[in-house]
Amino acid sequence: MNASTQSEDVAPASRAAGVRTSWLFAFLPNLTLLVLAILAWQFASTVWLPRVDPHMAVLMPAPTTIARTGAGMIASGELFFHLLASLKREASAFVIAATAIPLGIAMGWWRLVYNQVNPIMEILRPIPPLAWIPLSILWFGIGDEQNEFIIFLGMFFPILVNTIVGVKNIDPNLVRAARSLGAPEHKVLTRIVLKGSLPQIITGVRIGLGVGWMALVAAELVGANSGLGFLINDARSMLRTDTIIVGMLTIGVVGLLIDTAIRVLGRRLLPWSLALSR
Amino acid sequence: MGHLAVKNLSKIYGSPDSTGSVVALRDVTLEVQNHQFCAILGHSGCGKTTLLNIAAGFEPPTTGTVAIDDVPIRVPGWQNTMIFQDYALFPWMDVCQNIAFGLEMKKLPAHKRKDITSHYVDLVGLAGFEDKFPHQLSGGMRQRVAIARALAVQPHLLLMDEPFAALDAQNRTFMQDELVRIWQREPKTVVLVTHSIDEAIKLSDCIAVMTRRPGRVKEFINVNLPRPRDEDDIAYLQLRRRLRDLIHEEV
Repeated sequence: MNASTQSEDVAPASRAAGVRTSWLFAFLPNLTLLVLAILAWQFASTVWLPRVDPHMAVLMPAPTTIARTGAGMIASGELFFHLLASLKREASAFVIAATAIPLGIAMGWWRLVYNQVNPIMEILRPIPPLAWIPLSILWFGIGDEQNEFIIFLGMFFPILVNTIVGVKNIDPNLVRAARSLGAPEHKVLTRIVLKGSLPQIITGVRIGLGVGWMALVAAELVGANSGLGFLINDARSMLRTDTIIVGMLTIGVVGLLIDTAIRVLGRRLLPWSLALSR
Repeated sequence: MGHLAVKNLSKIYGSPDSTGSVVALRDVTLEVQNHQFCAILGHSGCGKTTLLNIAAGFEPPTTGTVAIDDVPIRVPGWQNTMIFQDYALFPWMDVCQNIAFGLEMKKLPAHKRKDITSHYVDLVGLAGFEDKFPHQLSGGMRQRVAIARALAVQPHLLLMDEPFAALDAQNRTFMQDELVRIWQREPKTVVLVTHSIDEAIKLSDCIAVMTRRPGRVKEFINVNLPRPRDEDDIAYLQLRRRLRDLIHEEV
């Protein structure tokens, strides 16, 4: 009896592990080109470029050099310091940009609000966040507020537009069904409209955080004393190409991690959503 | 508790004077006694869904009234609840939460909600599926959830808009029998809209045959056949022929 339950417990786990390793083996060959490219890069930086023009070699640090620099920056806490500064800006900007969710719901639900607010949004939306940098520096000076303002602008519109679409795409029969079961208007709004548009809102948050992350780096290039954008721009002035590339890779990896985290979170929180499970 | 009276009901879409206006219903008068099952039979576009939407309180009538026990219907609510063709289950709620939604809106305490919900889960035959989400259920089971959800609020009038149209033929017959079983266990005043003659005969006490647009009640027929209804019975066949003739005149 005991043995049989044990084997039942073990079977699915080992099967899952089997699936995972076989998936890994199927995926690994896809990395052939990447590995070859890194090897060619290594060869060019350490053997070929120094022979052709030693000055050029400085502009193209070898993968091993970059790895060494990266490890050193992690050990000293320098990379973490700048990463934390950037993440803090991204987070505070998101808190403010989240106001796009209630605004989007109001615009999606009440025609009057949409008709009044939409013209303003349509004028502001096509202006790239980076075009706000000169004005924002005059308004806020150089520092966190100015940075966060630029990031906020990058996040706000994707979240707003997706929330509006989410509300407008709710099956009208769900709203009717709720009313027909006796739901008062405020319950229809919270239990049906908000709930039903959540998958699309999460998609908006994903896109918003992505755009915000791009705007963040640009904002830090110009007006900051910390952060990953500052790090790579500061390294430029000292010709530290290895530091620049470590910073760039960090920006890429963290951007991917944020995106993946939101996706996983969305799937966990809204298991019923077919749109998110895709 | 559930006497339905439709009096001189008309519905005109668009302003009555303009050329683009559409008369969906004209002067419909209809009466359904308490706990009677009434089918409204007609071609698509005869205004039967409009009639249902007005009875559900989703749309105001242009003239005339729809009243339950002499109280005119003006807004949607649990008294006159509706079951939809596409079920309209809330996808983010499991079976129990869907059924309990109306009870929560009625502000019933939690233990009562639980008792009533489990009663209806059993009645419609969904035991064992309480924590499943709508996308995990088959069409027939979703329809059961929709029926349970509507019955749980104890409506005075239950409206059904072609509830079995989205099911395959076998499931449809089965669910029709199930509906009769459930309705006999817990009688309600039911108005069911359909374009299927057999569905109307199998289910109802009375059938209102509608004309083409503008919709009017062409004929009101009481079905005095014993239940369960036998499709080979001579009276059943006669009634079917009569209804077919009435409907065909409208093509």
